[in-house]
Amino acid sequence: MEPLGDKARVFNSRNTRLMREKIMGGQVHKQLLYPLITIAVVFGVWQLAANHYNSEFMMPSPCKTMVTFASVVHDPEVIKNLLITLKRVLTGFFYALLIGVPLGFLMGYSKTAMRLFDPLIDSLRQIPIMAWVPLTIVWFGLGDGPTIFLITFSGVFPIIINTVAGVQNISRDYYNAARSMGGGSWSIFTKIIVPASLPDILIGSRVAVGLGWMSVI
Amino acid sequence: MELKVESISKKFKNDSSFQTVLKDLDFTVREGQFVTLLGPSGCGKTTLLTIIAGFQAASGGRVLINGCQVTRPGPDRGFVFQNYALFPWMTVRDNILYPMKQRKVPGKEREKRLEELLGMAQLEGKEKLFPHQLSGGMKQRVAFIRALAGKPEVLLMDEPLGAVDMQMRQSLQDDLEVLWLKDKTTVVMVTHDVDEAIYLSDRVIVMSAQEGKIVEDLPVRLPRPRDRKGMEYHKHKERLAEALRIAMGKRPESPEAKRQLCLA
Ligand SMILES: Nc1ncnc2c1ncn2[C@@H]1O[C@H](COP(=O)(O)OP(=O)(O)OP(=O)(O)O)[C@@H](O)[C@H]1O
Ligand SMILES: [Mg+2]
Repeated sequence: MEPLGDKARVFNSRNTRLMREKIMGGQVHKQLLYPLITIAVVFGVWQLAANHYNSEFMMPSPCKTMVTFASVVHDPEVIKNLLITLKRVLTGFFYALLIGVPLGFLMGYSKTAMRLFDPLIDSLRQIPIMAWVPLTIVWFGLGDGPTIFLITFSGVFPIIINTVAGVQNISRDYYNAARSMGGGSWSIFTKIIVPASLPDILIGSRVAVGLGWMSVI
Repeated sequence: MELKVESISKKFKNDSSFQTVLKDLDFTVREGQFVTLLGPSGCGKTTLLTIIAGFQAASGGRVLINGCQVTRPGPDRGFVFQNYALFPWMTVRDNILYPMKQRKVPGKEREKRLEELLGMAQLEGKEKLFPHQLSGGMKQRVAFIRALAGKPEVLLMDEPLGAVDMQMRQSLQDDLEVLWLKDKTTVVMVTHDVDEAIYLSDRVIVMSAQEGKIVEDLPVRLPRPRDRKGMEYHKHKERLAEALRIAMGKRPESPEAKRQLCLA
């Protein structure tokens, strides 16, 4: 139990209130303003660097890059590839949710499930993702299979870990309150465990999608 | 309704030694009584209340409700938590409907009871808010009517006003009394505030720091709402303060108290 809790903190900002506000909208103007400032600063530094090198090859200027980018985006071939990648990431992410969330609920709720699965998950996690590539090609052939597998594989751990943390962080009082109001197991699952751990599941999902994009190459 | 606590004991295992928190506690609460458990911090009030609620098992003895032994939490015993434990992901409305849905109260009746409870607690128009949008006092009232919504036989409250500052506390005690007078459910409340105990209860049970032994069982028969400045009120207060001193294991000040200590 303990080691997993520690790992959870790596992924988990624990700032669920902030997370909720972010997901549910909130102050849209401020949310737009700050990223814009960041982008402006990045472009400024980029332009300065381009001026310094004064070489197209080593450091193309941001304007030039944008123009090229625009023409590339219009290319139907590029759009098609982009859509394929998007589809792979979403499919992989979907499988990661399908495996990770139920497993996370189980491990967060039952100590026995935790003892059973934690060592397995812990050892699988340690394997570098690239080490899976040859094996997955053998398993799934050369199509979408290996990529989707890798996206699922990299995404499933943050989902499991955050779901477990979410379930374990539910106060005993909520269970006791529900049971003293006549709540049965199903009602406790759907009305307490699921909504109480949802912010953590969303945090895990966000990390999973991020990792998914990184493992498509 | 009758709540019977029969020679309840509770031991906790700490490292290698056992700590006896409660030993052979006995008392009976009658229908409609407002009983307060008073005692110094750590004397086992919460432990006793959660055993009655069925949140944890006793090491010995039993709790009976209408002659049926308590083994786990159930809708016959409502519970008001010190931190309210309102479900933050549900609106006020859904929080209050929860116990009624669990008890399969039909839709129409549910809505009627909801209206009634909201009116009773002066929370009309607040049903769409989430708990974090409520003031402390409003949360307390929601917690109270939520616990009543499923029509429990007895309402258990663990320092329901413990999280509130002194000034607010007295006005919330008034609210609580008004609410209770409308419903007259049997109540067992925990507090360590002498004034609160006398202001609200029909009966005050004082528990000692030693094994939770009952050092005083004082009926309070003053008319409601009680006058905090009245003579009788003051006498009750002194008597409880004295009992509390004994409960904490300090030297008693009056001969009357010494006699009680010998009995205890
Ligand atoms: N789960 C537990 N494990 C071990 N000891 C416990 C446990 N719960 C309570 N205790 C011990 O039992 C004693 C009584 O605790 P309890 O919470 O019932 O006190 P209390 O009367 O409610 O105090 P307070 O007024 O401060 O809330 C304390 O000494 C506490 O350390
Ligand atoms: Mg307590």
